[in-house]
Amino acid sequence: MNDRNKIIYILIVLVNITPYLYVFYDFKKVSFNIDNVIGFYPIFGFIACIALIIIAKCLALILKKEDTYYD
Amino acid sequence: MINNLFAHPALPLAIGSLLIFLFKEKSNQISIISILISLFVLLFITDNVDYVYTNSISVINYFSYSKLAYLFCLVFLIMGLIGKLFSIYRDSYKEKAMVLLYISSAIFVLFSGDFLTLYIFWEVMAIASTMVIWSSNSEDSKSAGNRYLIMHLLGGMILLLGIIGLYIDTNDLQIRLLSLDTWYNWMILAGFLLNAGAPPFSHWISDAYPEGSYSSTVFLSAYTTKTSVFILIATFAGSHVLMLIGIYMIMYGIIYALLENDIRRILSYSIVNQVGFMVVGIGIGTELSINGTAAHAFSHILYKGLLLMSAGSVIYMINKRKCTDVGGLYKTMPITAICGIIGALAISAFPLTSGFISKSMIVDASIHEGMELIWLMLLVGSAGVFLHAGIKFPWFVFFHRDKKIITTDPPVYMKYAMIIASSICIIIGIWPELLYSLLPYNVDFIPYSGNHIVSQLHILFFSALAFFISLKYLERTLTLTLDIDWLYRGKIKYIKKIMKYIINIITNTNNAFSFLVLKNKFDVFENYLLKQNTISTMLILILITFAVSLLINIS
Repeated sequence: MNDRNKIIYILIVLVNITPYLYVFYDFKKVSFNIDNVIGFYPIFGFIACIALIIIAKCLALILKKEDTYYD
Repeated sequence: MINNLFAHPALPLAIGSLLIFLFKEKSNQISIISILISLFVLLFITDNVDYVYTNSISVINYFSYSKLAYLFCLVFLIMGLIGKLFSIYRDSYKEKAMVLLYISSAIFVLFSGDFLTLYIFWEVMAIASTMVIWSSNSEDSKSAGNRYLIMHLLGGMILLLGIIGLYIDTNDLQIRLLSLDTWYNWMILAGFLLNAGAPPFSHWISDAYPEGSYSSTVFLSAYTTKTSVFILIATFAGSHVLMLIGIYMIMYGIIYALLENDIRRILSYSIVNQVGFMVVGIGIGTELSINGTAAHAFSHILYKGLLLMSAGSVIYMINKRKCTDVGGLYKTMPITAICGIIGALAISAFPLTSGFISKSMIVDASIHEGMELIWLMLLVGSAGVFLHAGIKFPWFVFFHRDKKIITTDPPVYMKYAMIIASSICIIIGIWPELLYSLLPYNVDFIPYSGNHIVSQLHILFFSALAFFISLKYLERTLTLTLDIDWLYRGKIKYIKKIMKYIINIITNTNNAFSFLVLKNKFDVFENYLLKQNTISTMLILILITFAVSLLINIS
């Protein structure tokens, strides 16, 4: 197993532990209805990141040039 | 009263920068002592000290105190001190003198009470920061400095036109809240926003800052954009258009940073991104969001300085600035790596760091105002920050592929500077009251609520997951990304060609009619245009603006 996979597995474990923090806190919902959905933050964060990477990759098709472009 | 006129925290710095030219060998001592004197003066400023100098034209308010200006001045001086400690080994007295002048002019802007004083020091700041970029003495820094100066003089001109309009219409130059209902207020806003790195001219930050020397980038990152954030709070708080501009800046910073290869350029893009958060906070305009913006500016200056110091240490030690050239440095530069990681955690607003206690205020302000869309975009931004600065920077520099580079941690003062900055980031994160007590409005805000911590941790962990899953697609390549500056960058030769063509036509017609006297004049004109560089052209444009303003005033 290489380093990258190890990190992914550690992250998955951490991510699975964090919901239990809910138990220790008295929750006051101040936000909107949407974040009452269970797992809103993790799913939203994940999708947002993948979307940003995809957008960046698409823009790269047009905007990326050799780094000697201006020389 | 007259004695008090000299009790301005910016004056010791201005004097210090002059002294450095006289005593070149003592530049480090002079820098540090003058910053300490400034801090001393600042701590003894009491409330309600407006030094108003009245003359027949207008009221020139040289020094006007506000709690917000005090906060910004404090962090400017702290960062100045840390940065000076970091740059002790840099042997360029010019850079050190210009950095002092740069900090001094930024502080003058903070405390100026009218638009005229502000404009003057605004321009001094632009020129001093250009000198700081040029002091790196490389070919790249020369041309990048040119582009930077042109951009800022252009912004200064727009600002000046706005100020002239404001004066003609209202006959009052006091700095106050302006509403966006007249053309000149829009121009003032545009002038300020250009310095903040707003669209469409966000590129100047990532173009110019990384061309400074390893130490000067630390200073450059702190002052220009944050002065602009300060003045936007003072003049345009609550203008909703700023929210849209801020969201654009957040997204721009993330997307361009994801495509970037140069270490310091990644960090420069994340300046645009972080200032975007502040601009959104200014646009929301409630007490909570203004507090959040001020707190975020405070913590941003420190953790961005820290990140650039750790990047600067890498450049100082191994003289490589691209992600593709470095990797695996955590073994040989452990302290730099740890400090860099603390900075990266702070910028991603990880709990127990300074970013967390400030950014959550801005996010909460959007919730209190019921702005759901803005809130969602801020969440995307929070996730994206971790993606492009929080993980990408430390991962590609200190981990990833081990390039087996033999080096050590930087010399002792550079280490001290980084350690001090990272301690401040953590201290503010653990005891937020320290920072909250300095904010302009009373703070009734608990950052460490269950909701904040859990939601933030969820977002961060899943961003990290997304990063490592798509790592294959984020591999760096030797490329650059085009920006709006493509429109003019490297195009000067075409402009020169066109000018030469036009001048040829004029000269030929001239010859045909044999107005010999005129022809000589055109020769002079032609020589002038082709030999002078763009800066003098810009300066002439400014003079013309002044002349036009005089004419408007007379009529």
